[in-house]
Formats: sequence, structure tokens, C-alpha cells
Amino acid sequence: MLRVDTPNFPYFLLVGILPWNFFAQSLMMSTSSIVDNGGLIRKVWLPIEVFPIATVFFNLAQYLLAMAVLFPMASFFFRVPLSRSALAFFVVLPLHVIFTLGLGFFFAAATVFYRDVKHFTEIFLMLLFWLTPIIYDVRVLPESLRATVYANPLSFFITSYQDIFYRQIVPDPFHLLVLFSLSGLSLAVGYIVFSSCKVRFAEEV
Amino acid sequence: MFPLIEIDNVSKAFTIRHNRTNSLKSSFIGIFHKRFRETKETLWALKNVTLSVAPGETLGLIGRNGSGKSILLRLIVGIYRPTQGQVRFPNGARVGAMIELGVGFHPELTGRENVFLGASIHGLSRGEVEEIYPGVVEFSELDSFMDVPIKNYSSGMHARLGFALAINLNPQVLLVDEIFAVGDEAFQRKCIEKMEEFRGEGKTIIFVSHAAETIKNFCERACLLDHGSLVFLGAPSKAIEEYHRLLAS
Ligand SMILES: Nc1ncnc2c1ncn2[C@@H]1O[C@H](COP(=O)(O)OP(=O)(O)OP(=O)(O)O)[C@@H](O)[C@H]1O
Ligand SMILES: [Mg+2]
Repeated sequence: MLRVDTPNFPYFLLVGILPWNFFAQSLMMSTSSIVDNGGLIRKVWLPIEVFPIATVFFNLAQYLLAMAVLFPMASFFFRVPLSRSALAFFVVLPLHVIFTLGLGFFFAAATVFYRDVKHFTEIFLMLLFWLTPIIYDVRVLPESLRATVYANPLSFFITSYQDIFYRQIVPDPFHLLVLFSLSGLSLAVGYIVFSSCKVRFAEEV
Repeated sequence: MFPLIEIDNVSKAFTIRHNRTNSLKSSFIGIFHKRFRETKETLWALKNVTLSVAPGETLGLIGRNGSGKSILLRLIVGIYRPTQGQVRFPNGARVGAMIELGVGFHPELTGRENVFLGASIHGLSRGEVEEIYPGVVEFSELDSFMDVPIKNYSSGMHARLGFALAINLNPQVLLVDEIFAVGDEAFQRKCIEKMEEFRGEGKTIIFVSHAAETIKNFCERACLLDHGSLVFLGAPSKAIEEYHRLLAS
């Protein structure tokens, strides 16, 4: 069905799934990053921000590694050479990292007070996966469904990656502006929530 | 001379949450069912404690279980923030970790890995850790256990490694929370000797113990806490006397 309209589908899938994995893994791991390190936090004074940050960067390293291995292979098999649009990756990636980090801060703090946030995050991510154009191309969706997909902020990031690597165009400026605002908003909210309750982490974990 | 640590009218409150809802699920159910709703009560774990510690002093902290000794140490390290009052360091002293059972070790990592992790959390570079590493192993006498995961250590071995690491971090202020309870006599003696040595170097030690003799022999001043209030501060033998009277009443 959807497949028909998406040539080189495995390559398309790859382009979307790698950043998704980075996002989902980072979020899952950040969510428990404070609680899991409770032993340390209760005993030593240390800047607590390092836990979510380290988690996101750990996953970022994995993501980049996967890209470094898979992309040359994929472009060899699917004969999709990297075009100059790939340079936009260096704009989208930092924004994606910031966006993820903001959510990571938020969920890490929330889990300290509500331990089941972890399970909700899992379910939330499962739902989000289907609302993100990873295994389908947003362009083949009927107009009415597109709005739903774009209600999910992550869709903007994933479609940008697809623009860059799959459709080989530079994402349009409006799109980039959205990414910029989303990541700014996410980091601001996440960090403010995190730092306003971090003094209580040692007592609560 | 300025005091090293100034604890100025510090109080610490905790919220005790009865019927604790630490999940979104139970908070949500609590909206509808009274039985699941949490009720809060404030516990003053420390009440108006004022205390100053001079540089090079050895201070003992005594008191019953739950009287607030460990909390006082945590406030000094900065892990907890006082609810009221202030903890000040007029000389800008650097307070290291507090040493207590299981100094934030990671159970899955080996002794060696934990030493490296612990030391780097305290800001040592890799080179510096390598420098202190032999000292840590030697002091803890755990040479043949350094590659064993911490979870398989006995509690005494745990305490040994914790103490050995903490003293090798060479902090200006040593905070020791009841670590001798599980160490054998030889190790206890060794720790006391090491702490004497620290004192000789003019370092400050704050020392929590339930061992009256150790407090008497080792500390210059002792501070007795009861239900979060400072009830006595002065000569160790006097403090112990007060403590025993308190226990008897
Ligand atoms: N994070 C926390 N949340 C709520 N209450 C706490 C917390 N930490 C400590 N308390 C309470 O504060 C009180 C003092 O605890 P503290 O650990 O300082 O006792 P202590 O004097 O060190 O006792 P012990 O001799 O048993 O080590 C206790 O009643 C304890 O339950
Ligand atoms: Mg204690």
C-alpha cells in the first residue's frame, strides 16, 4: 500500500529509524538516569545535570556510529549518493540533540517524584512511533492525516532527516524555524523544571 | 581566626508522606478515592542547630538513631539544602565526600573500577587517580579483590575500600559517618591511626560514632544531638555522660 509510493523503501526506513532510536533510547535512559544513580547522588555532591546530559551524549555517540557504518553501506547498495543537502545534517542534528535533552531533563525529574513515569514513557514512545513518519512517508498520507502527524513535534525532525538524506533536498526555512523553536522550547522548559526541583533529588531518590 | 564551617541556625524539614503516592497512577486514583490520597506531615529532622568548626579541629557527633547526625553531615557536604539557616565556609574550604558505608559505589563494577569512578567524580584526572591508586589498594589491603565486583564484597571490605579511597582523595575536611561498626579491630585501629595522622597535618575531622571510647579518646569536642536539636556541645567525656543520661531517661 504505502510502500508502493516509496521507492527504495529500506533506505527510507533506515533514514528515519536511526534518529528515532537515538531519540527513544535517550528518553528511556534519561527517564531513569537520576533514580538509577540515587546511591551516588545521596552520597556525593555533584552537578546532577550530568546524568541526563551524559545519557543523551552516550546515545548520540551510538547514533553517529550507526550512521557512519550504515550510510556508506546503504548508499552503496541503494545507489543513493550523498548530495550536498547532507550538510544540513549539521544544523538538524544539534537541534535534535537539544530537543531530546530538554525532554530528557523533564522526564528525569518527573521520575524522581512519580516512579511510574518510566512505564508511561514506554507506552508514550510506542504511540509516538506510529505518529511519526518513519515507516511511512508523510507525503503519501491524505491531507487530513498529515495535520495529526505534524502535531507530533518529532515528525518535523524525522522529515528533515528524510529531506536531507532520502529526498536530498535542504529542508525549507520554515521547517528549520520550527525545529529551532521546538528545540529551544523543549530545552527551556525541561531545564527550568529540572533545576527548580534538583535540590530535592537527593532527598527523594 | 575564621571558623572553617559555620552552621548558623540550621533547620531541616522533611515531608513525611503517609500513604505515599509516588506514582502517577496512585495520584490519579487519589482524586477519586479518599483512601488512596496521601497526607503530609512535616518532620523537623534538625532544629536550629548552631555550630562552628575551627580549622584543624576534631569534632565528634553523637546521638541516638535518627537524631539527625547523618543529615548534618549531608548538609555540610551540600547534598541536602537547609530548610532554614545557612551553612557557610568562610575560608572557602573544600569538603570532600562523606565516608559512610557504601560511599556511592556501583555494585556491578569491580573495586578497581569503582576507585577510578569515585575519584573522577571528585574531580581527579586519570593521571591523578593512577597516582593515588596504589595507596588506596595498600590501605584497604584488598589487593586480591580489586577485580571482584563490589556487590560480592563483605560489608567490612566495602567500608575498607570506602575509607581508603576517601582519605587518599586528601580532602581538607574529613567527614566520617559510623564506618567502624563493620570493620574488624585491626582496620579500626588503622583508621584511627590514619585519622591521627590527618589531624597532625592540621586537617579538620567530623566524626560520627556510637563508640563512646573512640569519641572520648579521639575528639577534642563532641556534639550531642537529640531529636534534631543540639543539646550539648563541649568536652567529649561530658557529652558522653549527657548522652548516657539521655538514654537512661
Ligand atoms: N530523605 C529523607 N526523607 C525523609 N526523612 C528523612 C530523610 N533523610 C533522613 N530522614 C529522617 O531524618 C531523621 C534523622 O536521620 P539521620 O540519618 O540523620 O539519623 P542519624 O542520627 O544518622 O541516625 P543513625 O545513628 O541511625 O545513623 C530520621 O528520622 C530520618 O528518618
Ligand atoms: Mg546515620
